[in-house]
Formats: sequence, structure tokens, C-alpha cells
Amino acid sequence: MSEIISKAGLRELAKEWIAQGKAVAGPVQTKPGLVMYAKLASADEIVWKGFVRPANSVKEFVFPRHELLCTYKMEGNRVELANDEAEIPAQILLAVRPCDAAAFPILDHVFNWDCRDELYNRRRGATTVIALACESHDESCFCTSVGLSPQAERGSDVMLFDLGEEYEVRCLTDKGRALFAGKTQPSERTAPTCMGPDPRFNPEQVKQFVDGQFTSPYWQEATLACLGCGACAYNCPTCHCFDIVDEGNSQHGERVRNWDSCQFAQFTLHASGHNPRPDQGSRQRQRVLHKFSIYPEKFGEILCTGCGNCTRNCPEGQGMLTLLTGIEHA
Amino acid sequence: MPDIYTPDLMEVVNVRKQTPDVKSVRIQFQNKARASQFDFRVGQFGIFSAFGSGESTFNICSSSNWKDSLEFCFRKVGRVTEALWRVEEGDTIGFRGPYGNGYPVEKWEGKNLIFLGGGIAMPPIRCAVWYALENREKYGDITIVYGARTVADLVYVDELAEWAKRDRVRVIQCVDPGGQTPDWKGEVGFVPTVFERSKVAAENSVALVIGPPIMIKNTLPVLEKLGMGPDSIYTSLENRMKCGVGKCGRCNAGPVYVCKEGPVFTMEQLQMLPQDY
Amino acid sequence: MSEASQFEPKIVAYVCNWCTYLGADLAGTTRLEYPANVRIIRLPCTGRIDFNLLIKAFEIGADAVLVSGCHPGDCHYTAGNYHARRRWILFRELLDTLGFDLRRIHFTWISAAEGRKWQEAVTRITEETRKLGPYRELYQKNGFQRPNAPPPPKPPAPAKTNAAAQEQQLRETCARLLSEGTVQVVIGYGVGGPVFVRRAEDAAKLVWDAGCQANLTTYLKRKEIKRLGKAAVVVKGCDERGLVILEKESQIDRQTLRVIGMACDGMGQPKCDTCTVHQPRFADEIIGQAADTPPEATHAGALDALMQLSPAERMSFWAHEYERCVKCYACRQVCPLCYCERCIADKNRPVTIDTSATPEGNFAWHITRAFHLAGRCVGCGECTRACPAGIPLGLLNLSLARAAEKHFGYQAGMDPKAEPLIGTYALTDKEEFIR
Repeated sequence: MSEIISKAGLRELAKEWIAQGKAVAGPVQTKPGLVMYAKLASADEIVWKGFVRPANSVKEFVFPRHELLCTYKMEGNRVELANDEAEIPAQILLAVRPCDAAAFPILDHVFNWDCRDELYNRRRGATTVIALACESHDESCFCTSVGLSPQAERGSDVMLFDLGEEYEVRCLTDKGRALFAGKTQPSERTAPTCMGPDPRFNPEQVKQFVDGQFTSPYWQEATLACLGCGACAYNCPTCHCFDIVDEGNSQHGERVRNWDSCQFAQFTLHASGHNPRPDQGSRQRQRVLHKFSIYPEKFGEILCTGCGNCTRNCPEGQGMLTLLTGIEHA
Repeated sequence: MPDIYTPDLMEVVNVRKQTPDVKSVRIQFQNKARASQFDFRVGQFGIFSAFGSGESTFNICSSSNWKDSLEFCFRKVGRVTEALWRVEEGDTIGFRGPYGNGYPVEKWEGKNLIFLGGGIAMPPIRCAVWYALENREKYGDITIVYGARTVADLVYVDELAEWAKRDRVRVIQCVDPGGQTPDWKGEVGFVPTVFERSKVAAENSVALVIGPPIMIKNTLPVLEKLGMGPDSIYTSLENRMKCGVGKCGRCNAGPVYVCKEGPVFTMEQLQMLPQDY
Repeated sequence: MSEASQFEPKIVAYVCNWCTYLGADLAGTTRLEYPANVRIIRLPCTGRIDFNLLIKAFEIGADAVLVSGCHPGDCHYTAGNYHARRRWILFRELLDTLGFDLRRIHFTWISAAEGRKWQEAVTRITEETRKLGPYRELYQKNGFQRPNAPPPPKPPAPAKTNAAAQEQQLRETCARLLSEGTVQVVIGYGVGGPVFVRRAEDAAKLVWDAGCQANLTTYLKRKEIKRLGKAAVVVKGCDERGLVILEKESQIDRQTLRVIGMACDGMGQPKCDTCTVHQPRFADEIIGQAADTPPEATHAGALDALMQLSPAERMSFWAHEYERCVKCYACRQVCPLCYCERCIADKNRPVTIDTSATPEGNFAWHITRAFHLAGRCVGCGECTRACPAGIPLGLLNLSLARAAEKHFGYQAGMDPKAEPLIGTYALTDKEEFIR
């Protein structure tokens, strides 16, 4: 027994949510050939099929690319600080991929270990995640290599499965049930399982290599093509490194946090001029170390959901997969 | 503090120019309630704001026993430190902290303390020295070997002179060859060299070595020759930091977040870390 | 008495110290009255005026900007204003493409003796700006919807008949260069992306097909590549143009760099429609022969379509596009000519470009990137291809390239003997927009 909703019915629901003032986001056709997650002006904007996954991630909605920490106002030698007390509106992430949804419980660890990042938590609390199970994958996908699958339920409040004219609706949490209560009909039909890609590498082997072969020339050799931009990190569902800067003048301004990437050359540059990671190889090694060794050691999870965005967005077609599958032969 | 990224507002109560490019600044919480509940471990660090320019990370170089104010000491090298350089008494700056693990002063009880520092590394040593002097009976002999490039680059010189007068405290100041003035009465030579020839006894000791990487690299063999094991030699790592609370992903050295599990490490711990700092 | 809420425009004037500033001073000492709306910022010379200053003025609330200096021929530093004039000619075109309201940007030559001209200029500009009203359209969407997508790009062209032969010859060339010791690394196209072949026996890793889109000359700036030793780089005719600029700017040593040029009949990119360099011209090894077909178009449709819109609509177009920019700097990293060791965007003393991905931060970055490439960008299109958010970055570069051709007959990377565009000036540079 399952619960289903017609595709038209889901679109109507989405229209209702938008009309209620909720922020609804989903995949939209940004350009021909480019689908990206974006906040919807109307439910008609959503693209439901015809692509593997959007080019960006939905972390933007709990961890914005630019976020106010506090404002400052200075008068003479007095300073006044203020935080943004505005309510975060309820937000619904609709038709996200399982590899996007799984990132949320993974990110929860770093933003709450020891001290709690309430900026993140507030947005997280206001978010309901409705995932759409995958029906296809491409050669950049590797969710099955990191313990996920095209139907992985991690991080979702609701899972949708495409049945043709309807979606099967599996409400996994109270938040999900709150949205779909009374809106679905029972059915005998249920979605077939999609296998997803074959595993491409062994994460345990990766961890052993990056821990044990820290000084291996592999890191420099295998990363020559990397140009050191932030396209991979910024479109990654789990990358969360950030920068804190003051922007303003001597009288008033804002202290903000912005996304940052360990691939930028100045990421770890000391004021003395010393840089512990002076070349791209050491920076790429850090990315692998963080995702496959540090995060698992500290929080018990791999900091990667195998979505493949890094490879698809890389101007030179690199990305984690090339680096990780090469370890086997390193 | 309303949240982990919003600093406390601090009033600047004192600014001292230590060298042509180093100043020490003493600050107090504007919020007195916050001041009364604030506490820290000696050796922890803070993130200090010059509003409009940004934040910068410095060791809290005052002893944790001093309840009325905090102190930090910095060299003018960049945007934030240039803004902090312009700060005067009565101005307001920001403070976030205390962060980091601090010195394991309990483990050091009953031991002789050897402090080795170079240049701008004196402030993190200074707080430990004052702490030890304030709990004098808990610690053995104290030896301080401190050097800088030139005489003018030595910081906290008045306190060094004060410490030298204290019971069972030996202070050796040195400057790099060529950095001495005609009336310089201290040693001439690099810290590791001067330390070696000072024939400091190292039984039952712990050493705190802070300075540029080259100084640490050359000091370690001297300490090892004196029979000190890597678990009794401590240092305070610098790494570029931003959040200070283990979230922004910048300061890690291998699996260790320097802002959380450091910055104070033993050599033994450092040797287990990859060369990532 | 005008109504209490009469709009008082804020005018920022960047003036040179030796002429216009003294001219303004003269206006004061001779008691010529002019509106107090102008805020004067004095610089040594107009040649010192960074275009970012003009943008900054608008960012912080100016309704109009005036730039003024010594008359041509009278510059206190001999040629500063000539350099400035050339920059202004190009920068105005860039601002126009972005949809800035050009009625709010004024250029004049005012000498130290022309107090009256200063009075007239400031009075006129203040009144004109008062009529225009506050500059509210800056970086805004101005009520226009997300624009319609331009026509889809053509799919990559199928491999031409001699591609396999070219590939074979390329591999042989690579193996030869490596085994002879002429080079230590060959930078070429591989199956999944660029490859860096170090041993002759790995020459089979090189491919030549419709997937060879990237401009590999960008790797010549990377220190990780430089330390591998003498290099050979595989280029198409479009990539090769960049080498001309790089050599002019002393970034490559043409004696030690081996250039392997591949004849290319097009890769299905918009740039291929207007390409006139299907056959490499300066490469040391030229592989293949391109069909001698004239270009399919003489101009790019997307830019023309953009320029049909009104300035406010154009500004809206860019505001919509830049909304997706996350400051990943893929555009910068992929560009062979963005080789500064420390980019101006990464400097914080002063902060010229906000690092934040806000409208101000994004516009400032893309304006800077485009203008720093003025006269240097060869239109390889990598920036557009690299952008993960699908922003048509190359349109800005293209508008400057067209401006360079229109005003100076200049095309970057075509003539190795040509002088750099921004680094030089001509006494005959047109200045009809300067009063």
C-alpha cells in the first residue's frame, strides 16, 4: 500500500505553498541545457524531468553564499552591533535529488558540534525537504560509492517516486506529513527500484591512502589540470568552508560570511607569507582528506554524497571522481 | 553573546607601543555582567575585531588570574592590524573567545619550566610566565630565553627585567648577530644557540617553544640533547583562522582543528600530524 | 521657493590636481557660483583614475560622475590624459553594454584658467541630473522579468574527416618532442580533460576530437606546470591568438615554448561562427589543414540582441545574470590572460571589489575582469564555457573587442607586431564625448 498524488495535484500544492508565502525552490531551466535550483516565482517554473540533476546544490537555502552576521555602526568611539532578527520564512525544497537531501544531516554535524551555529539551524528548522528519487544517472554520479542510492531517504522529509501520471509520496517525518496530510490517495502501485551507478571506488581505501600517503607525489601528479577555482566547492552539497569579512566604511557596515574554497591559493596563506598548502596538489589533497578522512573521523560520515557536481561543473572536467578513482592505481 | 559570530564590545583601556611595529592593547568588557562571568584558560586565544576592517586572531597574552582586563599583542602587518594600530584608549573594538585548548598548566605542576621564544612570540609566553609566577609554589625553576632580531624588536622588556628579579627565575635575552646596540648587556646569537650555551638544566622540565618555524626546528635538537622527550616540549601553532569555532574549515592541520584541539600541542602530537601547517 | 522635497543630486567629480582642480579653485576665488552638489576628489592626474573609482562612486550613492583633467597636450605628466582618454573611450562602451545610464557620466577637459568652464560644467550637470532624478536603476532588475533565453548553442560539430589523421600526427609529434628532450611536458587534450604528457610512451593519451574545447594556454601561467620544465602546448587557432598577447606581455618565452597548432574547422561554439583563424599561424608544428571557408557570420547575434534593449533593460539583464554568480572565479582561473599572482579581487588594502556575491560585489568583479582584459581578450570563450551558472560572461569581453575594432581598428592577438591597446595612445584618439 502506498500513497500517491497526481502530478497536477502536486503542482497545485506547490502553487498553494507559494501563495501562502512560503519560499519554494526547485529545479528551473536557467538556460537551454542548464537546470539549476532556484527560488520559484511560480510553480510552473519547475522542471521535473529531462535532466540528471541540477548543476548547483540546495545548500544555499540553509547556508547562503552571503550571510549577514551582524551590522556595526560607529559614532566617535562608540560601536553599536545588531543582528538580523527577521523571521526566516518557511521554505520548501521541492524535487531535490537524494544526493542533495542527504547533505543536510551530514552538514548538521559541523554546524552543531561543540557550539551551535544558530544561523544555520534557524534556516534548517524552517526547511522541509521533498526529494524526488532518481530514474537515471550519468558517468559523473557516484552516490553508490559513498553509501547512498537513487532512492536514499537520508535528509528528506518526503520522498517522491515518479509513477508516470502520479508520484508515490512517502512521508518520512512529521514535517513531511504536515505538508501532505489529506492530499494523497492510497494506491497499490509503488515505484520500481533504480539501481544507480556501479560503485566506482572504495572510500576506506581512499581514507587509507590520504592518511598514509600524505606526501605521495600522486597529489601533485593527478591534479595538474586543476586551475584552483571554486566551481567544485561552491556547487557541492556538502562543502561548507566560509570566510568572514567586514564590508562597509568607517561609520557603518556589515560583518558577513561568504562561501570560500580550500582550492583558492590564499585560503591558508599566513600574514607572514608562509602557506602550508602552497600548490594545487596539497590543496586538492586537503579536499580529499577533509571529505574522506577528517569528517568521518570526527563525525562518522563522509563529507560527500556522490552527486558529481564537482566533475560536471569543473571547467576542465576534473572533480573528485577522477582523483578518487585514480587512487587505486597510484 | 547573542550568537557565536557576534563579538563582545570591548573598551580599550591601555595601548602600549612595544616596538616600532608591535603594540600591546588592554581591553575590558563594556558589558559588566559579561565581564563577571568571563573566564579563560591561560594560553587560549581570541579573535579581535577592528570594525570595518575585519577580525584577527591573537593569543590572550594576559594571565587568566587577572580579572579586570584582557590583553593582546600584535605586529602591524596587514589590513586588520593596521586598523588596530590606530586604536586609542577609549575606543571600542570587538572580541570573540576564548578559543582553543590553552596550556595544560595542571600537567606542568611540580615541573621546572623552560620558555623559549623569538620576536613576536613573547606574548603567548608572557601569559604563561605570569600565571606561573602567580602560582609560584606549584612550579619549579623558571628559565626564559627570549630573543629578537634587534634590541628594538624585543617586547615586554620591562616585564622581562621584573621577572629576572623573581625567585628561581633566570631570564636570558638575546638578539641576532648584528642586532645589538653598543650598550646591549644581553646575549648575542640566535635563540637555539644561546639556549644551548646557557647550559640550562632540563631535568623534570617542560618546555614551551614558540617562534618562527626555523627557530623551532633548530631548538628541538637542543632540547632533545638535554634529554627532553617530545611529550614534554610544547608549542603554540599559528594557522590562518576565521571562525575560531571549528566550522569554517580553514585552520585544520590534518584531522586536527587548530582552533579547537590546539593551538597548544606537544611535539609528540605535532609529529603525528601531517605536514599541513 | 522650490518644494521642500526637491531632489538634490549627488555629483562626484574626479579631477586632476594640476588643471581642473585649480580651475575649480579659480572659480571659487573669482566668486563664480556653482551648485554645492559636487563633491570633488582630487587626484594627481586623470591617468591615475582607475575605472573602479567611477563604479565605486555610483555604488555609494552618486547620481552622476564627472571626470575632468588637463587638455590633451597640457598634461602635467606629459601623457597621463592621453592614456586616460583611450581608457575612457573603451570604458564608456563597457558601461553602455552593461546598461549604465551614460547621461550620468561626464568627461571634460578643464584647465587651470577655465574657472568659468568649471562653473558651467557643474551647473549644467547638476541641472541635467536633477531632471534625470536619483540613480535608482543601478544594479537593479528595474521591474523586468528574467529575460528570454538566447537561442541554444549548436551541438559540437562531428569530428571532421581528417581528425583521426591529425590525432595520429599529434601523438607522433608529442613522442618526438619528448624523446628528443626538446620539452619535458606536452600539454594537450586527453579523454577526460587536459593531460600533461611527460613520457614519450604516454603520447597515446592525447586525443583530437570535437571535445577539445578548452584553451590549454591557460596552463602556461600555472606554477605547478612551470616547474615541470620546458613545455609544448596544443592549441587551436583561437587559442594561439592568446599566445601573441602573452608573448607581448613577457609571460612566455617563445624560444623555449613549443607550440603545436591544430587546424580546426570548428567546435560548435558560438565563437566558431566568426572565426578567421581555423588554421594556426605561428605554431612551431602545424598539424592538419583547415577548409578555407569564410566565417559564417561577421558579428555575434547575442550582443546585437542585447544592444537593442534600452539601458535600463540591459542593466536588468545583467542584474538577472549576475544574481547567479557565486564568485567561484572559474572565469578568472580559466583565462590564459588572467595571470596576476595576486588578483585585485583578492587584495584587501584597499578592498576594490567586495568579495561577497552581492549585486555590488558581482558587478564590480565582472566589470573589472572585463576591463582588465580590454584589448587583451582574444575571444576564446572559455570564461563563458567555464561559468557553472551559465552567465554569458564573454558578451562583455566581446563588446570591448568590438569597441577596440571600431575605435582603433585593433584585434587582440592577430598581429604580433601590434602595440598593446591600453598601454598606448594616439594623438588622434577620438573624443567627441569629452567636452
